[in-house]
This record gives sequence, structure tokens and C-alpha cells, in this order.
Amino acid sequence: MAIARNTLVFEDCKKSCKDPYTFSEFKDKTILITGGTGFMGRWIAEMINYINDITQSNIHLILLARDIEKFQVEMPHLANKPYLSLVRQDIRNLHDLPKNINYIIHAAGTPDNRIHVSQPLLTLETFYKGTQSLLNAASRLPELKKIIHISSHQVYGENDSDLNIEETFLGKVNTSNIYGESKRISETLCFAYKNQFKLPIIIIRPFAFVGPYHDLEKPWAINNFIRDAILGGPIKILGNGLTIRSYLYGSDMAQWLLKTLLIGQIGEAYNLGSKEPTSLNDLAKKIQLLVNPSIEIINKSSKSIYKNISNLVPNTKKITDSLSLEEAHTLEESIKRTTVWNQLKTNNEN
Amino acid sequence: MIKHILISDPTLRDGNHAVAHQLTANQIAIYATAADEAGVPIVEVGHGNGLGASSMQVGLALEDDVTMLETARKHLSKSKLGIHVIPGFATIKRDLIRALDIGVDVVRVASHCTEADITQRHLGFVRERGKEAYGVLMMSHMAPASVLVEEAQKMELYGAEGIIIMDSAGAYLPSDVEEKITALVNGLKVPVGFHAHNNLGMAVANSITAIQSGAKILDGTARGFGAGAGNTQLEVLIAVLERMGYFTGIDFYKMLDASDIAEREIMPVIPVIKSESIVSGLAGVFSGFSKHVTRISKEYQVDQRDVYRELGNRKVVGGQEDIIIEVVMDLVRKKK
Repeated sequence: MAIARNTLVFEDCKKSCKDPYTFSEFKDKTILITGGTGFMGRWIAEMINYINDITQSNIHLILLARDIEKFQVEMPHLANKPYLSLVRQDIRNLHDLPKNINYIIHAAGTPDNRIHVSQPLLTLETFYKGTQSLLNAASRLPELKKIIHISSHQVYGENDSDLNIEETFLGKVNTSNIYGESKRISETLCFAYKNQFKLPIIIIRPFAFVGPYHDLEKPWAINNFIRDAILGGPIKILGNGLTIRSYLYGSDMAQWLLKTLLIGQIGEAYNLGSKEPTSLNDLAKKIQLLVNPSIEIINKSSKSIYKNISNLVPNTKKITDSLSLEEAHTLEESIKRTTVWNQLKTNNEN
Repeated sequence: MIKHILISDPTLRDGNHAVAHQLTANQIAIYATAADEAGVPIVEVGHGNGLGASSMQVGLALEDDVTMLETARKHLSKSKLGIHVIPGFATIKRDLIRALDIGVDVVRVASHCTEADITQRHLGFVRERGKEAYGVLMMSHMAPASVLVEEAQKMELYGAEGIIIMDSAGAYLPSDVEEKITALVNGLKVPVGFHAHNNLGMAVANSITAIQSGAKILDGTARGFGAGAGNTQLEVLIAVLERMGYFTGIDFYKMLDASDIAEREIMPVIPVIKSESIVSGLAGVFSGFSKHVTRISKEYQVDQRDVYRELGNRKVVGGQEDIIIEVVMDLVRKKK
């Protein structure tokens, strides 16, 4: 009999977080996640659910988002938990927050680049005005211990080298890149609030992720490859198949974020992602092998030869060494789990 | 290395413009069979303005979309069945789902060259259904290369597996094609394509310039059957491509046969570059307007060439067919 989606996710959390008692400091504390119903918010909620279940820590979670109904429908196993609250709020218009909040993960704003190109002004406003609204409100919280600001690897600019990107890297910046520039100004805001209001802020720069709760229609190669494979192929590589990326699994991401919230150094910036590089060609072959070996892989590209190979892989030494973290899921396991989860019926139907 | 060019044949779609959207199911069956036999990779079928476009505004088709697509599907085995989709004319729920259920393989989602935003949902939906999705920028002569690249990049993000620019007015010279295709090839990850019209007699030359500039997809129709002065004449294009060492997968002799069949069975008149088509091309007016302009100009006894000039001045685009009568009435008033 097939397992339920939420059972699969619970097992993933268990694998990523071997010692849930590590988080005993969060006992009876309240964590706010802005953009709380997205990929990150859902995985953190799953991880908190796992920790609460095992340790009876009663960690309170407030998920703040514009669309909470979708979460209620799609995540009934979490939405009704007594320690979870859903707050409908556009981050741009946020003024006051519940006074009992101790920790904040600011993940509002979509990384979906279709939205960035279609609605650049909304994108800019959400990241700039939304971050400022949040930080103003946070500055009035009496019990606040730490804020994680979710930035992006795009603040680094383009990486022409074949080296993994360190936190001190500065590549070619393109001022017309709305998302990258929005994230850069948001980071600048964070540093200003840290200096002027002494807000305890940590910057996280995410790279690419894979796992349940990632909509396979999002315009990222791994999502589309898995979707193509589930649909029976062919897997379509659009553009340069030599492009290098890496993928961190959702439950590992959640574990790393919570550990950063627990013991990360205020004022520091950390990369969040997998250090294991893979080309899109190799990724497609892996997915073909793991999901459906009989399907075809086709490449559609504007050019036969590329001058540069895009390489977006983080150097994760800083976060893994200083916070004692490791990747619990290999890429192969991540692909398998993601595929199985997407093939399972929704929780409601199990 | 043999260079492969993907050919898409809109004889049964753009050609529908040439007959005021009056292609019959039998004609569709005849040409689809011939094109399939020739190994044409993609055969595009439908109303001239695409799926769901049959209307008083742009012209009522003789056959409905279902009849046209089911007929073509029945007669295509090797060739893929393609459709042209302009969001607004075609909705996902009413038109696209049904078309995919009939068995459409390739969906080319089109917008005016500066309005790619409207294609997001349609492109996304086609990819979700596991079908081939391409983005098409129409009337591309109206935007500079930099804008075309920005709009094409949007379509790429929305899921397009290739971007085709249309010279919908037949206004390009080879230098224009070189500039725009080069910019697109450099700015995009996915393959670039070109769809020509022959108002200035440049359709084949422009198509060849496109592939020499890096395009990998070309459109062409039998005898150039299409709106206005017609499209790139496919059998000529195949001959030239073969001579230049490109591979299309199309059997040349069978393509010649298909063109002869098309001329005999579906064309009341073979497209030629009429005087007004030249003016239309120079003025940059959508080729799909030609039937309307001819009819209304004749009715009100105004010079078609003046109508095209004024439509060009007003930068009118496909879907604004109602402006034609407005322009004609202005000319009538001026004459008085």
C-alpha cells in the first residue's frame, strides 16, 4: 500500500533532523514565517511538526501570507494543529505583529522568475517595502531573539568561474535583474536596521532546492525534468545542457534554516544549498534512470556552442562547519522522494 | 556537420486568411495527407487568426475548430498537428483543452510583439499537459531588437521551447532579419524561428538570412499560400535549404507533389505580390488585413494604397480589423 504524502514528508524530516532535542531552546517559543505558505514555509512547518511530535516542545508557529486558504486546503494535517496559526496579511502593509514573537524567518516574496519579468514593479515593492514593513514591526517586538532574512544567490551576480560561490563572492551585477537587485536592496535594508535599531538579523542566501511542495510547473530545470518524466517524456533540456546547478532537499533546507535560527551568528550571511554540482545533462540522465529509463532526452538550444557555462553552486563550508550541518539526502534520493510524492494522491485522499 | 532545420507548415492556417477562412474539411484532409506523406514535421491547422478566432470581427470560418482539427488529426500520422493560439481569441477552458484532447501535438502561443505577458498561462498549460509549446511574437517589425529579446525571454520563462518571430506584414529586409535573429539567438536559451511574408518578395531570402543568423525553425507554406502576398514558398525553401546542405527531413519530390495538390485542390488563386501588397509591406500592415481592405476599399471606392498607408501610420495590429472601416470612412470624408 502506498504511504501518504505527509508520512513521506515526516520520514524526510526525521532523516534530516537526527536529534530533534537540539531545538529545546525553541520550547514554548513563537516563530513567525512571512511568506509562510510557500515552499520554505511548508517545509519549516513540517519540521516544527516533527520536532513538536517527538519532543513535545510546543513550538508555536505563525505563518503569515496573502493566501492562507490554499494552505488550509492542501495541508489539513498541519493547518488544524493547536500550535499553528495562519495570518492573512500582505507583507507590504504589515504594521503590528503579535508581541509574543521570538523568532522571525522572513521568506515573503516569490522566487518565480515568471512573476519577476511579468510584474517587475510588484516584485520590487514586495521585497523592498515588504522587508521594511517587517523590520519596522520587528523593531517593536519586546521578546525578539533573532531574524533570518531570506535573500538569494542572485545578489552575487553572474559567476563566470567554475568555482563554487562563497559568501564573499561578487560577480557581474546586472541592474536590470529585478529579482537580484530587489534582494540586494533588501539585504542593505537589513544591515541598516541591524546597525541603527540593533535588530538581530542573519542573512541566508538560498540556491536551488528540490522536493515535495515545489510546484513542478515552476520554471526550474529539475522541476520540469521530473514533470516531463512523470508525464512519460521526453525530458526536454532547454538551453545549455552543460549548465551547472545543485539541489538541496526540502527537509534538509528546513533543518539548516532552523539550526541557523538557533545558533547562527547575528550579522553574518550564509549560503543555503547543496555543494554537489550536476550539469543539466547529467541531471536529466539521472531522472531518466530513476523515474522512467525508457523515455527520451532531447535538447533544444538557441546555440550550438556556448562561450560561458553558467555555474550556480554554493560553497557551503561556512554554514556546514560553523553550524555542524550536513546534507542528509543525496540528489538521487531527492529525485526519488520528489517523484513518489508527486505521484501520490493528496493527503485529503489518503 | 549537417545542420537540422525544423519546418512548420501553416498552409492550412495562414492559407485560411487567403480564402477568408473558407477552407473546407475535405481540403484540409487532402493537403494534410500530402504534407504527411512528404514528411513535413509540423502541419498547422485552423482559422487564419488561430484557435477560437472565428468571429465577425476577424472573419467567420467555414468549418469550426473541432471539425478542422479532427479532420487533420485523422490524416496526419508522421507529421505533428500544430495550432496557432492567440490568448483572448482562444481560452484555455473553452478551446485549448478541447484541442489538446483532439490530439494537437504542437501549440504556438502568439501575442503582439510587445505583449508577451498575455501568453504565460497558455504556455504553462501546454507544458503541463506535456505537449510542445512555442512562443510567437507577431508583427515583430514594430519593435526594436532589444524589446523583442525582452519579450522573448518572458516567453522562454513561461515555458516556450522555442521562440518564433513573425514578419506579419512582410516588411523586413535581410538586414532587419539578421539584426533581430542575431539578438534573439544571443539573448535566448531556446531555439529561434522565423515566419516570413512575401510582400516585398523577400520571404525566401529573409528565411535563409534567419538561419544564417542562427535560427533553427522556419515556417513555409505550399506555393506560399497565406495572408496578403503569401508566406515563404515551402517547396522553394526546401530546395534552397537542400542545396545549402541543411536537413529538414522532408522528401523534396513529395513536397513538390504536395504543393501541386495544394494548388489544384485548395487555392482559388495562387498568391502573387499584388500592387497593394507591396504598399502594405512598405507600410508595415498585418497581412491578414488584405481581404478586408480590398473589400471595404472597393465598397467605398477609395484607393487601397491610401488605406494601407494610413493603417501603417496608425500602427494598427492584428485584432484591430474594425479600424479599417474607420480609416476608409476618413478617406471618404476627405475626398468630399
